[in-house]
Amino acid sequence: PAALPAAPLGFTDVNLNSRNTYEVSRRRSAPEHLPHGGGTAPAAPAPPPQEPPERARHRLGIAGAGSSFAEFFTRNFFTKRTKELKPAVQSAPGWKLFGKVPPRENLPKDSKIIQQEYEARTGRMYKPPAPSARRKNIEFEPLSTTALILEDRPANLPAKSVEEALRHRQEYDEMVAEAKKREIKEAHKRKKIMRERFKQEENIASAMVIWVNEILPNWEGMRATRRVRELWWQGLPPSVRGKVWSLAVGNELNITPELYEIFLSRAKERWKSFSETSSENDTEDAGASVADREASLELIKLDISRTFPSLYIFQKGGPYHDLLHSVLGAYTCYRPDVGYVQGMSFIAAVLILNLEEADAFIAFANLLNKPCQLAFFRVDHSMMLKYFAAFEVFFEENLPKLFLHFKSYSLTPDIYLIDWIFTLYSKSLPLDLACRVWDVFCRDGEEFLFRTGLGILRLYEDILLQMDFIHIAQFLTKLPEDITSEKLFSCIAAIQMQNSNKKWAQVFASLMKDNKEGDKNHSPVPKN
Amino acid sequence: MQKHNQKEHLYKLLVIGDLGVGKTSIIKRYVHQNFSPHYRATIGVDFALKVLNWDAETVVRLQLWDIAGQERFGNMTRVYYREAMGAFIVFDVTRPATFEAVTKWKEDLDSKLVLPSGKPVPTVLLANKCDQGIDVLMNNGIKMDQFCKENGFVGWFETSAKENININEASRCLVKHIIASESDPVQSVEPDIIKPHLNSSKIVSCSACFKS
Repeated sequence: PAALPAAPLGFTDVNLNSRNTYEVSRRRSAPEHLPHGGGTAPAAPAPPPQEPPERARHRLGIAGAGSSFAEFFTRNFFTKRTKELKPAVQSAPGWKLFGKVPPRENLPKDSKIIQQEYEARTGRMYKPPAPSARRKNIEFEPLSTTALILEDRPANLPAKSVEEALRHRQEYDEMVAEAKKREIKEAHKRKKIMRERFKQEENIASAMVIWVNEILPNWEGMRATRRVRELWWQGLPPSVRGKVWSLAVGNELNITPELYEIFLSRAKERWKSFSETSSENDTEDAGASVADREASLELIKLDISRTFPSLYIFQKGGPYHDLLHSVLGAYTCYRPDVGYVQGMSFIAAVLILNLEEADAFIAFANLLNKPCQLAFFRVDHSMMLKYFAAFEVFFEENLPKLFLHFKSYSLTPDIYLIDWIFTLYSKSLPLDLACRVWDVFCRDGEEFLFRTGLGILRLYEDILLQMDFIHIAQFLTKLPEDITSEKLFSCIAAIQMQNSNKKWAQVFASLMKDNKEGDKNHSPVPKN
Repeated sequence: MQKHNQKEHLYKLLVIGDLGVGKTSIIKRYVHQNFSPHYRATIGVDFALKVLNWDAETVVRLQLWDIAGQERFGNMTRVYYREAMGAFIVFDVTRPATFEAVTKWKEDLDSKLVLPSGKPVPTVLLANKCDQGIDVLMNNGIKMDQFCKENGFVGWFETSAKENININEASRCLVKHIIASESDPVQSVEPDIIKPHLNSSKIVSCSACFKS
């Protein structure tokens, strides 16, 4: 085929809804549009919007150690960023001062209005001329328009009667009182939130001291103690999070930073030779494994831009783009038997947010070497089915009603668990909450991943019981964004990982044994 | 609530194709009427539901299964194919390799899923991101028709999730073929169970779509 224009990989457009969709008559396979003989040229497409490169806007300009980033990227941050990206609403200069003032009507400008405009511009009280607008303003902007209602009628209108003036004053007083009440309530709420935040910060600070001064220096001796385990459950302070993750995941593979550099340089060589030969035609005669690996590199590129896109830091031009690329590329060289599998980019990204580059790689490789992760990332289907089966044992035990409900729709765990397990919840839960799940996952191992899944089901049990197949599937593959850590962790805590005195590992082991005998039944659930 | 004489069809549709071709974007555009260049990679499967008022007597509910594109997942995602009534196979006009993969996807689909009649499920081919690859398919319309005929697609459309081009049309085409492939429409009224018909025998081609 002829050479094709390469798709620009970065961002193309953020401002979505403001653009018109032109009626472009596209060719399609409908007979009336068939381009018999030669083919009709497609109608002129919508002209591409002339926008400045988005990249600059996306750049965050973050510098410094990654250890405290997870804390930084809370949901609040996401929404704020998104809002900032929207173009500012254009409003007439001078009137912006009052924020919610409706667009001005066209009025004959007399000297009084000009005076008002002047006052508004200089920041003093502004008196909108239209009475209807005046009402609205009082509703929304009580403080900036306090004098409005007392204003006399314009000179060309008859003056207010005494009763009317009185009534207006009364109404006005009521409104002000109402607004004051509202403001006091708001202030109380703000204060409460601030107090909670201070308390939280204090807790984090004091926990950090304990982690840094007591636990980390005596890691092996203390990690399994009750006190440390309890503190661990509360969530790791972001500043020690990466360190604790590293220690807990361990380094069974004995990877050194030097080894990482070696695999990274190998990956870089491969990219170089790949981009040099990619102009040639297809790798028809090259071995399938080479093609796969090259495809792997291509996949990494595609997926990186789709990893936490709302953070704007892993995308092309973002501060962590190259880092994520490096860690994933080095891994495909280190473990060609596993290669790159979708989901990995999310795991590597979370590690990069909490660890230095080489440490992130070491944790990444060791994490993926755990039996559960290896089974999933190698897409070992029969092993995955055993994990799902073990999950269902505890599902039935803990949430029998919901279990039956799911069963009645043949809604199997592979529908929602695959996403959760492959990304370790980093895609499905808000990032700060996902990090807390990772904390305890590092403490308790794979069992906690499935326990978290059951915690989510428990949290939303009442809602899910009301839903049918498609709505459950939609709900679980896109969880509500307002999920809080307090609620989720109390639900997780309520999940018992005991099934007639058997723990997760025992249940799983017995399933492994069963399946050795009666293998080859690949259907995840018996069809009913 | 439905009128008494209204029929309701529930169809499970698969949306498959290589990684990053825009499957999720097409579904978001179709169901939520919006587009963002910042969708996250799909892991496993995502879902959407679209309700169409097909005609005065018929409501069609489409269950869209948005299936992760990495080839490696093949084994894992085949269970998702079960009981689907139709499929979209999507490729990215700016990446030729994704078009080369189309036949692989089609073969994979046909080998794992057939209608009870033994026929393959109606499948529509989507050439997505056509807003970016204007020249790619130009003068290739006839070739594409030929390709569809040879590979058993009931039709093909140039689509753009970004510019909202041809997505509704493609869906109507697929639904038309699905309805036509059901010989006895009375049986399909059970709302939550997809029940393909055992005795459907012939696929009726429709005027708006590719004729087979």
